[in-house]
Amino acid sequence: MLSCKELVANSSDLLDSQLSLRQRLAVQMHLAMCYRCRRFIKQMRLSQRVLRALPDAAIPELEELAARLAEEVRTRR
Amino acid sequence: MDYPADSALLARLLAGEEKAFRELVATYQGAMRAVAFAIVGSRNADEVVQDAWLAVVRNLKGFQGRSSLKTWLLTITANTAKTRLKHNRREVLLDDLPGPHGTVGEKRFADDGHWLREPFAWHQDTPEALLTEEELRECLEKTLTSLSELQGSVLLLRERQGLELEEICNLLQISLSNVRVLLHRARLKVFATLEHFEETGQC
Repeated sequence: MLSCKELVANSSDLLDSQLSLRQRLAVQMHLAMCYRCRRFIKQMRLSQRVLRALPDAAIPELEELAARLAEEVRTRR
Repeated sequence: MDYPADSALLARLLAGEEKAFRELVATYQGAMRAVAFAIVGSRNADEVVQDAWLAVVRNLKGFQGRSSLKTWLLTITANTAKTRLKHNRREVLLDDLPGPHGTVGEKRFADDGHWLREPFAWHQDTPEALLTEEELRECLEKTLTSLSELQGSVLLLRERQGLELEEICNLLQISLSNVRVLLHRARLKVFATLEHFEETGQC
């Protein structure tokens, strides 16, 4: 039987679908019985979504760079 | 071409349309920077990205659309970065620097592997609700900056840019098991920061 600590160790592989069938079954069995680990996984997934939702850092000199690249293409034609 | 959205943009790029380049840079520069960061480190990353853009422009006509535009751009960036490194490629640094709020580590578990201190139940269950707290955003930024260059880049490429693990391996030339380790450690630190903030209300 998988321990909570082992479940946490396998959690990223679970999120990335990197577990073998056998490991996946063990993880699912553990999660079915352990609300703490269910909460952990739920909140791991939430933190993934939080990272995705963070605003992009502004790109300094976006305009200038774009203008320079466009110019470069036009002169190359 | 198998990537219709790309081919529309590509036509505009080839026409030298400035707005198309703004879109291109805004969409992909973040991912390119992460790739450069992982290979040459923070000091030379910006220069590599600049060089990569020039290489992109030079080769734009030859782009065949056999891969997505994104894959092509990131491959050029990785190659530019590797050329910069020449032969003194750094060892793959699996350094695990301590995060500001630690990780989900040994201390959280009893000897039998059960939770000693169980995960705290967060107050919010959507990213939008969590991120309304300005302080949490800043706190997360701090955690992300605390990650090693490679760890931070791998996290960014996976979670924000949605790259497959295999693409990350190929671009950065590190093994799948290393990518998995880097990603896992980075995620646990992010988790620890969110948990700490939800529990204490401060960074």
